[in-house]
Amino acid sequence: MIKDITLGQYFPMHSFVHKMDPRMKLLFVTSFIVMVFLSNNFISLGFCLLVTAFVIAISKIPLKTVLKGLRPIILIIAITSILQIAYNEGGIVLVDIWRIKITSGGVLTAVFMALRISLLIVMSTMLTYTTSPTSLTNGLDRIFAPFKKIGLDFHTITMIMTIALRFIPTLIEEVDKIMSAQKSRGANFEQGNIIKRAKALIPLFIPLLFNSIRRAYELANAMTCRCYNGGQGKTTMNALKFSYRDYIALGSVAGVIASVILLNIYCGEYNAEFTFGITV
Amino acid sequence: MAIIKFENVTFRYESDEEGVALAPAVKDFSLSIEKGEFVAILGHNGSGKSTLAKLANGLLLPEKGRVLVDGMDTVNEEDDIKIKQTVGVVFQNPDNQIVATIVEEDVAFGPENLGIEPTEIRRRVDSALKTVGMYEYRKHGPHKLSGGQKQRVAIAGIIAMEPRCIILDEPTAMLDPIGRRDVMNAIKRLNRDLGITVVFITHYMEEAVEADRIVVMDDSRLLMDGTPKEVFADATKIRSIGLDVPQTCQLSELLRADGIKLKNDLLSIDELVENIDALLKGK
Repeated sequence: MIKDITLGQYFPMHSFVHKMDPRMKLLFVTSFIVMVFLSNNFISLGFCLLVTAFVIAISKIPLKTVLKGLRPIILIIAITSILQIAYNEGGIVLVDIWRIKITSGGVLTAVFMALRISLLIVMSTMLTYTTSPTSLTNGLDRIFAPFKKIGLDFHTITMIMTIALRFIPTLIEEVDKIMSAQKSRGANFEQGNIIKRAKALIPLFIPLLFNSIRRAYELANAMTCRCYNGGQGKTTMNALKFSYRDYIALGSVAGVIASVILLNIYCGEYNAEFTFGITV
Repeated sequence: MAIIKFENVTFRYESDEEGVALAPAVKDFSLSIEKGEFVAILGHNGSGKSTLAKLANGLLLPEKGRVLVDGMDTVNEEDDIKIKQTVGVVFQNPDNQIVATIVEEDVAFGPENLGIEPTEIRRRVDSALKTVGMYEYRKHGPHKLSGGQKQRVAIAGIIAMEPRCIILDEPTAMLDPIGRRDVMNAIKRLNRDLGITVVFITHYMEEAVEADRIVVMDDSRLLMDGTPKEVFADATKIRSIGLDVPQTCQLSELLRADGIKLKNDLLSIDELVENIDALLKGK
């Protein structure tokens, strides 16, 4: 069971989106996020929603899975919406009971904000759903490679990320083993109050920490034996290459930017009244 | 010229406490390993055999004496990469040697560090994985493999750098019998088919018997050096340092004690059977 865990949130599939270069995906997602923030009316934002829907459709990832990614931020969306409804006064008064006053401007702003946050999260999770951690770190490594000239060594950071991902399953297995070993000696991880349970974890974490340090030492030796010297003059077997897909994506990035800007300009007046309330 | 040459090497680990000197892990050790040899190094825990592996490619530097890899002194830092490329080391725990999250990317790690062309890396990775019989697993995550499979991936990662010598430090100690057999077969192929010098550190007698030459370490020193037949002929000496002799030796020894005239250097089961058969027919 424990061996079946997925690394990150990657859903391996064969689709246009999966086969895109990770660098292009990063560019696409970053510019999309900027565009969502720049959208100042419902039509621009609606366009962003359409783009998201299109990306989900061609990625072949089930909608249910995508929406699951929104679960952790439901609370944030709810709080933002409530605050918008409570404090935004504009448009027609819809409800006015005792001290609660709900206006159309407030409701529209709440919907707008909720949609904006959801789009940001959905598009970012699409990135991790369709890109394996290895190719993501590979992409980051390549994007930040030029920064080495000004003294920022991103290679070390991406190497750390790769090793961390590599060792997550190993450490989970180890936790499982230590837990069994401690349980067979009478340790109890499930009962008692929170302090008691936290205390019970000490005999779990000390051996885990000790073993991890030893692992790190052995891994360092193995890496030295394989001529690792901090990534100087390193080549890559699976060199990243732009394909026709990435040029299509590049065109789409330009298209999205242009569309949002044009929609902002031409439809901005359409809802001028509450637009003022919602521009961040 | 020898591929690895230890010349009166002494090495001691640093103590955690200041002013306390530890006993040397390797004491006045001299050994010359020739190209193409298959050498097994035997010794019980703490005899200094793992330290030898780390001394042989410059991971550790000797306190006294020197270690020469293909004529290069391991003390010279400018030869460091060359030395590590010539002598690859595979360690005991396969989990702690695998760097990447995909098998083929891990095998590519060494050649990538050496700055080799991508097409050439691809060729090396494929041929290394085929040599150890792990080609069909090239796209798998290492955490889904068995211990023996992981160890073979680790070996492939070293072969991909095309070293002329591979040192394996108890590579089978953490494996089940099937994993151990698969790893052993892969190692024999390296020596026989690719002509790579193999130094195999172990405490399993049955594995040591497969080598051309056995070096026995005891108490940080070299105790015996010879062919398997020469080394195991002296069963009492092997036992005196806390090691066992192979089962065939044990059996022929017991039979000899009972007055049956068998030779004392019978290592394979076939040889033993042949000898007993000849004796029976002779009677």
